[in-house]
Amino acid sequence: MNDFNIEKLDKHVDALLDGRVPARDADTFRLGELEDVAKELSLLPRPDFRASLWANLASSAATRPSGASEAQRATVIPPMFSSSSLTFPMRGSHLAVSFGLHVAALALITASGLWVVENRAVVRSTVAQLIPADSDYVMPVAPGKPAGGGGGGGDHDKMDASHGTAPRFAAEQLTPPLAVVRNEHPALPAEPTLIGPPDIVLPQSDRLGDPMANILNPPSNGTGSGGGIGSGEGGGIGSGKGPGIGPGYGGGIGGGIYRVGGGVSAPRPIYDPDPEYSEEARKAKFQGTVLLSAVIGPDGKPKDLRIMRSVGMGLDQKALDAVWKWRFAPGMRNEKPVSVLVSIEVSFRLY
Amino acid sequence: MHETDERRLIEGAQRDPGRFAEVYEANFARVYAYVARRVPRREEAEDVTAEVFQQALAGLGQFEWQGTPFIAWLLGIAAHLVAKRWKGAVAKEEVPVDELELAANEGHVEQQTLFAQLIERLPEDQRRVIEARFFGQRGIREIAKDMGRSEGAIKQLQFRALETLRDQIGNRHE
Repeated sequence: MNDFNIEKLDKHVDALLDGRVPARDADTFRLGELEDVAKELSLLPRPDFRASLWANLASSAATRPSGASEAQRATVIPPMFSSSSLTFPMRGSHLAVSFGLHVAALALITASGLWVVENRAVVRSTVAQLIPADSDYVMPVAPGKPAGGGGGGGDHDKMDASHGTAPRFAAEQLTPPLAVVRNEHPALPAEPTLIGPPDIVLPQSDRLGDPMANILNPPSNGTGSGGGIGSGEGGGIGSGKGPGIGPGYGGGIGGGIYRVGGGVSAPRPIYDPDPEYSEEARKAKFQGTVLLSAVIGPDGKPKDLRIMRSVGMGLDQKALDAVWKWRFAPGMRNEKPVSVLVSIEVSFRLY
Repeated sequence: MHETDERRLIEGAQRDPGRFAEVYEANFARVYAYVARRVPRREEAEDVTAEVFQQALAGLGQFEWQGTPFIAWLLGIAAHLVAKRWKGAVAKEEVPVDELELAANEGHVEQQTLFAQLIERLPEDQRRVIEARFFGQRGIREIAKDMGRSEGAIKQLQFRALETLRDQIGNRHE
């Protein structure tokens, strides 16, 4: 190896140490091998680098918290006014934001409480009260009054009324029905009728009588009075009073829908949820009482609900909606459940 | 290092960062060898290596053992940092290091270790010149002045030392 190659090798070493890539000399294979060695040497770490790097890392490691991973530490809630190796340092801005949020939350709670107190009437107005005809919904039995509907008659015959069909209903009665015609040549002949809804069609035949009677012959007008057929009085048929048919009084058909009284007990509500207050009435702070009529069937369910007195503001419908859901112990007559017409007052009040 | 031992080592360092020294000792040469072949200057290799271990220490809590050697995670960090230096920007957050790279790196580690040992065995004056020239990055003139020798003599010593190392490496590989 001559001096020329030694100089050239040294220049290559300079280039390597400066981070440059020396140009390969193809003339001398031996020099190329030495350049490879020089390159390897230039890549070696300084002998003290390993130790000095660890000295830096060791100080970093010493300041890192131990015993928990980063993810676990993130779940640790830092105390506000102290610090430890497991917690985050307190930041003034975070503390201020937290304080502000707590104050806002407290103000909101206080304001909502005041609002509830000031608007108590509106808030509590959702409660509606059911007030029946009397202080108690169970309607009192009217003493001495017969059940509604129906009629009766008779002409003081010694025999009970004979079986037959009733005449048609009409709005007025000129001649009461008779099973035995006493005057076969009246001055003003007129068709016998009963007073009741004309659209109700009863079975008709040539033989007038009490449809409920068991006796076919001989024909009899019955033991009642006032004309008509039966044991009652008043020109009708049956045991009632008036120009109708059946028990009860006042015309029409007795024995169908009963009214309370005369041996008919009132239905008793067993499930009566309160009606809701309508939004319109609530906003207007409107109060009122809706009067309904209803027929409580033998099954205890309300039927034929009708508004007898309206108050508007959406409360009528709310009353209907509520009473439709009611269930009753049905009214009783002769220990049997019967359909009974009742009135129901539903009062809506703000209190 | 056996996988079970390595896992125990890493989990121990996760619980107690003071035990990171063991992780560092086990992986320093591998990380440095990997970086040194990917940057042009020793100073850069040292900077990147230092940053790899700083990031590893900071992120050790997030490391989840998935059966891959821990060195692959370290070299992934190193590859990412090298890519940043070359491209000046982050190309990808994670740079995977495959098994071939791991194997090749092990060869470089062995070679660097061997060279370090061979330098120790050089004759005194050759060793002093090599250390001053390659580790101290000093010029021929400075070394000559320190050793009281001519520049030509220092260049000769450098030349002979490189020849000795080449010969001994060659003997090892034969």
